[in-house]
Order: sequence, then C-alpha cells, then structure tokens
Amino acid sequence: MDIPAMRASFAKAAAHGDQVPLWFYSHLFLTHPETRDMFPVSMAHQRDRLFAALGEVVARVDDLDTLVPILQQLGRDHRKFGALAAHYPAVGASLLATLEHFDDEWDDALAASWAEAYGVIAEVMIAAADEAADAPPWWEAEVVGHDRRTIDVAVLHLRTEQPLPYLPGQALSVETDLRPRLWRWYSPANAPRPDNALELHVRARDGGPVSTALVRQAQQGDVVRLGPPVGHLALDVDSDRDLLLVAGGTGLAPLKALVDQVARQGPARRVDLFVGARTEDGFYDRADLHRLAQEHPWLTVTCAVSHEKSSALEHGDIGDVVLRHGPWNGRDAYVAGNPATVEDTVTRLHAAGLPMGRIRTEVFAPSRPSPTVDGKVTE
Amino acid sequence: MTTSDSGRGAEIGPPTADDLRAVHFTPASMLHPGYTDREVDAFVARAADELARLTEENTQLRQEVAILEQQVAEAAARPSPSDQAVGILATAQLTADQYVSEAEDFSRQMTSEARAQYEEQLAAAREKAGAIIQAAQEAAASIRGNGVPVVSGGQPESEELQEQVAYLKAFSQACRVQLRSYLEALLSDVETEWGRAHPGALPTPPRGTRPQQLERGRPDVAFAGNATTDDTEPAGAVPLSRSSS
Repeated sequence: MDIPAMRASFAKAAAHGDQVPLWFYSHLFLTHPETRDMFPVSMAHQRDRLFAALGEVVARVDDLDTLVPILQQLGRDHRKFGALAAHYPAVGASLLATLEHFDDEWDDALAASWAEAYGVIAEVMIAAADEAADAPPWWEAEVVGHDRRTIDVAVLHLRTEQPLPYLPGQALSVETDLRPRLWRWYSPANAPRPDNALELHVRARDGGPVSTALVRQAQQGDVVRLGPPVGHLALDVDSDRDLLLVAGGTGLAPLKALVDQVARQGPARRVDLFVGARTEDGFYDRADLHRLAQEHPWLTVTCAVSHEKSSALEHGDIGDVVLRHGPWNGRDAYVAGNPATVEDTVTRLHAAGLPMGRIRTEVFAPSRPSPTVDGKVTE
Repeated sequence: MTTSDSGRGAEIGPPTADDLRAVHFTPASMLHPGYTDREVDAFVARAADELARLTEENTQLRQEVAILEQQVAEAAARPSPSDQAVGILATAQLTADQYVSEAEDFSRQMTSEARAQYEEQLAAAREKAGAIIQAAQEAAASIRGNGVPVVSGGQPESEELQEQVAYLKAFSQACRVQLRSYLEALLSDVETEWGRAHPGALPTPPRGTRPQQLERGRPDVAFAGNATTDDTEPAGAVPLSRSSS
C-alpha cells in the first residue's frame, strides 16, 4: 500500500468537493440499483457524511489503533441500514471508479493500493457487523402512547418486542415510516424496563422532517425502528457522589433516565434536578416531575423560566438559577440541552469550582445526524 | 483400524482409497473357492455408500461453483456506467435534493411564522385581559374606599365584578384555545402538503391519472409552486408530495 500516493489521489478528488460523493453515489446506484432503496430521497447530508468518513479514514490510515475502533463502530452501525457483506464489494468498485474519474494520473499501482486498503476496511467492518450479529440490526417498537404535551413537544411511549439493552442517558437512533431512511437520535427518558417500555421526548423543529412527523403525525399503533444505543452521558458507576442534573428543553429526557436509574438501582444519593424553559408552557413534563419529587425524598426538582416575568417560578437562565442554589462542588454534574444552555451552564459550574472531569454533557441540536467518532451524540 | 489386510476389519465407516487398494478377503472354505461372500458384500456396500455420498457432495459443489461463477460473471458483466449516465443521474439527484430542501425551507418558514404569530397574539390577549381585570379590581377598591355601603349595596356590585372577572378569564382561555387550534391547522397543512418522501413511493401513479395528465399536456411542469394540489403533480416527478388519490 502506497499511503502517500493514496493521500495524494484523495486530495485531488477532495478538491472537487461535493462533485465527488455525488459521482460516487450515482455510479453506485447505476451499477447496483438495489442499493438506492437504502438511502433517503435527498442525498445532500449523506454526501457530506460519506466525505467526512472517507477523509477520516484516509487521515488515520497509518494509525490503525484509532482507525479500527472507528471502522468497527461504523460496521456495527451500518447493520440498521440493511447493509450486508454483499454490498461491500459494490461500494468498493464504485469508490475506485470515482477516484479514477477525478485523477488524471490514475494507474494500476494506485488502483491496487486502494483496492487493498478498501479490502482491509471492508473486512474490519464486516467482521464487526458479524460479531454484533447476536443482537438484532434494529428493534421494532410500537407506539403505545402518543401524548402531545405542548404545541411543539410530544412524549412518545414505545414498546419494543425484543429487549433493547442500553444505559440510562444513552441515545438511540429512530426511523419512522412517515419519513423513511432518515434516522435521528433521541434519548429514552427511563432506565430499561422488564416490559421493554421506552419514553421518548420529541420537540418538533421548524422544518425538521423527522421531529415534526413524530410530534404531529405519529399515532398510537405506529411502528418505529430503533438502532443500537450510543452516547456517553451514562452514569459514572464508580462514583457515589450526589448528583446535579441540569436540563434545558427536551434535554430533560436523558436526565430523567438517570433519576430513574438512581430510583431503581441506586446507590442511594441526593439528586437535584434543574429544568429550564423560556416560558411556563415549555414545561411539558411537569406533572410527572412533580410525581417523582413526591415519591422520592432524595430528589428535588426546580423549574425556572427565562422569558416570562409574570411567572411564579424561579426566573433566569438555567445556569444562573443553578448557581444561586449552589455550591455544587461536591457533585457529579450532568447537563443536557441546546448548545447555548449547555455551554453557559458548564462554564458557570466550572468557574464556580466544579472540576471539568465531573461535568458530563449532551448537546441537543436540530438534526443530530450521527455520533462523531468520539461517540458524542452531537452535530 | 480398517480392512487394510482383511475385508473383515472394522465394518463401519467409509473405506479409504488405501483400503480399496489393500483390501484382502479371507479365502472361503475348501469347498467354495473365492472369498467369503459376507465380507465382500459388506465391503461393497460400504464402498457404495461412500461413493453415493461423494457423488452427492460433488453435485452440490458443482452447483455452488456454478452459482459463484454466475455471480462473478454478473459482476463482471455489469458494465461500468458511462460518464454521461452518471452525470445525468447526478443532475437528477441534485434536482431532487433541491426540491426537498425547498420543501423543508417552506415548512420552516411557515411554522416559525405561525408560531411567532401565535405567541404575539397570546401575549397581547393576556395583557389585555390582565389590564381589564386590574381595572375592575381598582374600580371595586375605589367603590369600597369611597364608603359606599358595602354590605347592602356593594354585594351585587362585587358579584357583578366577580362575574366580569370570570368572564374575562374564560375569554382569555377561549382566545388561547382558538389561537392554538388555528396554529395547529396551519401546521397540519404544512405537514400534509409536504407529505411523505420515499424513493419508492411514487413509481406507479394511481390508475387513471396518466391519461388525465396527458390531456393536460404539461406533465413536466415544474411543481415547486403547485405541489399543494394532488392532481397537478406530474407523474414522473420526484416524489416529494404524496398523492392522496
């Protein structure tokens, strides 16, 4: 494998930008029309993602220690798209054809290098997918309850047929027949249950195809597909420190799952949950939070609004409100919400003396396409 | 273990090639020249079983080879598409991407405008109701403050005031409900018009639509602006909008 030559040829192709993945997918769909059905109508985001993934691989091709886990994760994650071992040669052929098309100095040696490299990549991905073959590639879940809480937020109660193992705080990708082939990440708001029940909190984003469909069109009896869990917000099991949970908007979901975990599995500890919204109408889960606070003496729930002066609740940005109730320096902090909220809260907590190592965050942004290579469920 | 020196050896299991070469049968009795029938029969039976198994296995392998060869041939026979074909499909894909993104933009604008309107009107209605209630309360206070006999004459007035307050609260609630359902209707319009986008959703137009479209004579009319009505949707268009027919 001539790695410098491969990098040079990839750089030549990369200079053509979006044209390259566009050419690649067109070639793939013409040679293997059966693969077209695995993708959504609009391929725009898909092209960005392919390019990013290829760039990643080319950049790390001589650093197998980091590359292999990434490929394994990719291979496992591709099962939910219906990718089979038989698809890999097809992709390889189109990849080589694409690189050839954009390289004036393409020769057999280069082709052999790329073919070898791709062979290794495919082998790692297929092996990882095979290892994961004990678990289903995706889980079907029935919508057993659909509860519109506000104009934009719905709480979906799902039940999978097969148990879906995940850690409270992790996220699952969701696909609905209402918007086929578009997978979006949502965090269950409960710890795994023996009856396989899951609670999802969905906010309809303006113009967001999946979220709006899940909030406004999904109904009881619908079946959605769930992919394997990812994410790193899971509770630190080595720590028995008390918890500080800070949620903005539907960032509440993973934190509610952590509360559920403490309630069901322990260890017993104090949990202070702060929930922020612009106006009182934004507290879509108030009744349930109230119930939890009643049931568990170790739990306090504080709601705060930032944009409604006439409200009787606490007023201010959630980070501000949290600090007013401090100090929190002895806690493990978990923060989930939109990017601005998370950043603001983390900055304040850190400035107030909480070590960064004890703050875990999850950013909820519109259209979270997939986890990054570090496993972060962010854009 | 086997019959390398005698046909009478272990009489189970397939005989090997070496077994066959080295097989040796015990001569029969003086009266019957040749080998012992039983040994020969048993050995031949075992050999026959093994031969049958091998033949079957051979057939299976031949079939597998044939299938694999066919797959290889198919793969080789799939001609690399011409640059022209790839270019055409690429353009079609870009067009589809553009339609989807326009639909998303449209939906985004509609929804955010509708929400802004909802919040504005709700805030205005709240403010108005609050002001009226406050004015009523002030009026009540000033009536009491002016020493108007509260016990006898004030009672009906205060009741009236309370009724007014209740009415206003109900009015504010009704405003809110109406605004919300108005917004819901707008949003559901956006949703339905946008519809379901699936690559395989529209290859076969419902029966009877084709002739109609031929009559209309403009099946390739751009539909970004008129995707809202089902019957103007061109048959071959990107399936952005689901036909309800």
